[in-house]
Amino acid sequence: MIRLLAGRLLQAAVASFGVLTIVFFVMRLSGDPTLLLVPEGASAEQVAQLRAALGFDRPLVVQYAAYLGDLLRLDLGESLVQRAPVAGIVGERIPYTLALAGGALLVALGIGIPAGILMAVHRGGVLERALAALVLAGQSLPTFWSGILLILFFGVYLGWLPTSGADSLASLIMPAIALGALTMSTFARMARISVLDELSRDYVTAARARGLSVWAAVSRHVLRNAAIPVVTIAALEIGNLLAGAVIVETVFAWPGIGQLAIQSIQARDFLVVQTVVLFVSSVYIAMNLLADLAYAAIDPRIRGRS
Amino acid sequence: MRGISPGMALILLLLVAFIVAALAAPWIAPFDPLRQSLLMRLRPPGTTVAAGMYLLGTDDLGRDLLSRVLHGARASIAVAALSVSISLAFGTLLGLLAGWFRGWVAVAIMRSVDTMLSIPAILLAVLTVAVLGPSFLNLILVLGLTRWPRYTRVAYAQTLQVATLPYIRAAEMAGAGSARILWRHILPNIAGPLMVVATSEFGLMILFEAGLSFLGLGIQPPYPSWGSIMSVGRQYVERAWWLTVFPGACLFVLVLCVNLFGDWLRDRVDPRSQGR
Amino acid sequence: MLRSWTIGLLTACALAGPALAQATKDTLIVDLPGDVATMDPHVQWDTESYSVYRNIFDNLVTRDTSGKIVPQVATAWRYTDPTTIVFDLRTDITFSDGSKLTPADVVFSIKRITNPAFRSPQLSQFDQIIAADVTGPAQVTLRTKSPYPVLLAQLVKLSIVPQAVVEKLGDQAFNQQVLGSGPYVLKSWQRGVASTLEANPGYWRGAAPFKTVTFRAVPDIATRIADVRTGRADITRGLSPDDTASLKNERNLQVLSVATERVSHLFLNPAIGPTRDKRVRQAIAHAIDRDAIIAALMLGFPKRADVMLTEAAFGWVGDVPFWPYDPARAKALVKEAGAEGAEIPFLTSPAYDRRVNEAVQQMLGEVGLKVSFVMVDQPTFLRRRQGTPEEALNMAQGRWSCACQDADGVIFPLFRTGSQWAKFSNAEFDTAVDAARVTLDEKERLTHYRRAFTILRDEVAAVPLFQDAAIYLARRELKWTPTPNEAFFVFDMKWVP
Repeated sequence: MIRLLAGRLLQAAVASFGVLTIVFFVMRLSGDPTLLLVPEGASAEQVAQLRAALGFDRPLVVQYAAYLGDLLRLDLGESLVQRAPVAGIVGERIPYTLALAGGALLVALGIGIPAGILMAVHRGGVLERALAALVLAGQSLPTFWSGILLILFFGVYLGWLPTSGADSLASLIMPAIALGALTMSTFARMARISVLDELSRDYVTAARARGLSVWAAVSRHVLRNAAIPVVTIAALEIGNLLAGAVIVETVFAWPGIGQLAIQSIQARDFLVVQTVVLFVSSVYIAMNLLADLAYAAIDPRIRGRS
Repeated sequence: MRGISPGMALILLLLVAFIVAALAAPWIAPFDPLRQSLLMRLRPPGTTVAAGMYLLGTDDLGRDLLSRVLHGARASIAVAALSVSISLAFGTLLGLLAGWFRGWVAVAIMRSVDTMLSIPAILLAVLTVAVLGPSFLNLILVLGLTRWPRYTRVAYAQTLQVATLPYIRAAEMAGAGSARILWRHILPNIAGPLMVVATSEFGLMILFEAGLSFLGLGIQPPYPSWGSIMSVGRQYVERAWWLTVFPGACLFVLVLCVNLFGDWLRDRVDPRSQGR
Repeated sequence: MLRSWTIGLLTACALAGPALAQATKDTLIVDLPGDVATMDPHVQWDTESYSVYRNIFDNLVTRDTSGKIVPQVATAWRYTDPTTIVFDLRTDITFSDGSKLTPADVVFSIKRITNPAFRSPQLSQFDQIIAADVTGPAQVTLRTKSPYPVLLAQLVKLSIVPQAVVEKLGDQAFNQQVLGSGPYVLKSWQRGVASTLEANPGYWRGAAPFKTVTFRAVPDIATRIADVRTGRADITRGLSPDDTASLKNERNLQVLSVATERVSHLFLNPAIGPTRDKRVRQAIAHAIDRDAIIAALMLGFPKRADVMLTEAAFGWVGDVPFWPYDPARAKALVKEAGAEGAEIPFLTSPAYDRRVNEAVQQMLGEVGLKVSFVMVDQPTFLRRRQGTPEEALNMAQGRWSCACQDADGVIFPLFRTGSQWAKFSNAEFDTAVDAARVTLDEKERLTHYRRAFTILRDEVAAVPLFQDAAIYLARRELKWTPTPNEAFFVFDMKWVP
């Protein structure tokens, strides 16, 4: 177990390093922010002067080495645009991101899992089709459109929910639904498959032969076993929920890291983008690792294979 | 084909209709989708002019919406189909290699998969488009090259399973080369689950292009895609509802059909659910 | 009845906050498209940061609603020679911590922003200043490299910061807890969410109109409009003319707009490809129906521009008419130049109005020129537009503002040989704009600029389109007149229920 953990940790570190390197160089390939910062009409010398002052006149490799050096000293650097420590800029957004991801996960699990179970139990029936269509519907509309429709309907016409912002629990409702709808069908499908899978196993067949109802079988045996793959998927979806919420955050003015990342890409605020990606990928890798370990702990077959 | 329900038949029919409409767009569109008329901006569906009727109304530059939706189908479907093909091919190849050779090959490939998966796809896409510029080709490349890890995961897991089957072992004993075994014996066995992933990715890619359009990085004007028509139209949600409702409905129905088709496919290829 | 009561209750208990109209308005809520980049007025100068921090500081001079430069911290100024200018300062201004605003603070502010080591992105607006000295108990003297007619226009944007506080806190901490002498004081700044200002009780120009002002960051315009409609915000900016059309029936709202100093134009690259031929450039000028674009696409909001400058700027002349819309003549010119069917690559980014681009594409298509768009994101656009002529491509849209309301800040960088924006080069033009930048005589400057605009027109270095409009959406009760320089001074606003 310890060897497995150590090996996976090492691999995780390598993966993180890969992420960092990819993002560092892709960002640098896209040019630097100097021209965005100077007033229109600044002369070539003035631009060159600022570029040098910001350190973008150095060779890429030197910039890369300097960045890695800072990272090793746990220094995430200072935002070029905001002139403030990056750690703070990204850190302040994380609670909002977690709240939105949590809300969305709640929506996705709360609707997706029961729908998936119902779909499995009523396999082939009308209910299954209706639920399948409903669950997929959430995933079949562009958020930038459904989002503004939600705002107009619940915010403007009905006046029930705040049209934007992040200052109350009520303002979390619409963004959480919009984001949750995107992953809902993933959970529903996963739940459906796992339940179907379990239902076809011998122990369930045997139990049902003894007169146990489908629902009793589901609640007593199936759910516990079917939960494992669902939890794994949930872990993998976290990455998308954290920083993939770019459009939801933009439409609802939710100050999460997705919005921050896009704005920082557009402003070429390199260190902010790198820090966001570093954060998201670390969370993702950690989740993955936990899921793997949980698997290994539960299922001895996997332990043997690794 | 055993047991195609009427519902499934309808879905297949719709899918075929979409593909035909997209392919035939230049011949069936009533107007030139790029032809503007500044005096006929934002006219509601059914507006009639000398040249004919704007069946679905006009957009904010006075172009015929029906023609744009038809041509937009081409762009949206082409982006999705091509990017899915690229990532399917690339991802499957890597998954096969990792599952067959295992050892350090698998470690290297599967760690790159982790790396790629841990960068949110939308950020990676925006970053790459920022570097390359948003042309049709670049869009396909970006989508194709950021989505492959999903296929690799499935192909890897499936290959691991299939590789232990007795007849594969037998083929190996008989001296068949790795390439031959992978191509002739393993790939056909794992194609089902991969197709299931591909169908759900297809819908996602259509939405992804729409999302990039919203960020200004999708299919570029004046050429239409459903996403770009909608991202323009959302400014007019109340004033000219037809701009978002018609392409939105098309997108919705197509993505839904593709996904339902994928679910149906999954139930057919998944041996576990087939047995019941 | 029941319905509105229910909604009222829900609104009151749950969410929409300070939505309902009040007799006296304590808090003004402003929706901006983004967050403040820096509170430190000497660092970033994007519209969002500007809209917020300029309410916290005073400037040496400012502009009145008519655009005239008038006293603020300085009461009077005079040139002792063409490169030396003396300012008399007020002595009754205090910073919000109670300390006096002294001539030393003014000198410190100028030296801070012009210090290359400080890396201010605004440096190029002030780097003509080579010396700043305290020359009396209420007097400072500035010296410029050469006679510099735009100095006062630039000083309109120079915020005066307290030397003692900046030196005590250091630059990074000052950025987080700025403090100035302006009508408002920074109360809190939740990055990415909102910043809140409070009225400065002892402000020397009188009491501020609102006790509190909150600036929220709401990136999507559709959401910002929804916010103002529901009273979640009182004012927002960044509407397009089309956005206003569906708001006509909203009786609680008003659309405020102003013709800004931005000149929307089409850049034509005379250094490469088909646009090297003057006849092709002239054909483009004749092919574009600017009035149709303004009337049909922009719903009449902007004003047509005939020269590469707006009326809001010094140097504007009204007697250099542009080439008229004449597609037949355009077609003939294209034919004469042998450029029928020629491809014109057009560089653009999401920052520019797509519809104007597409309308131009169709208009040029009608006279036989094939525009193809090359879309890049804004940083790449700026890099390529200022790069080599080949990188800049044959055409691009521009929305130029120097934030100085002077021809020198517009046509000098855009067209003067050697400027990185300029792909155009004309010795006579260079002489004119060079001469206009080193004399303080306004009449003489106007003569030079008239000459310069005539050359630009004759050579068709660009197609001026229109004077851009800034469009705001506000609650009906807000009384405010937006200004051409897109300043956002809450002090000038009033709430009249």
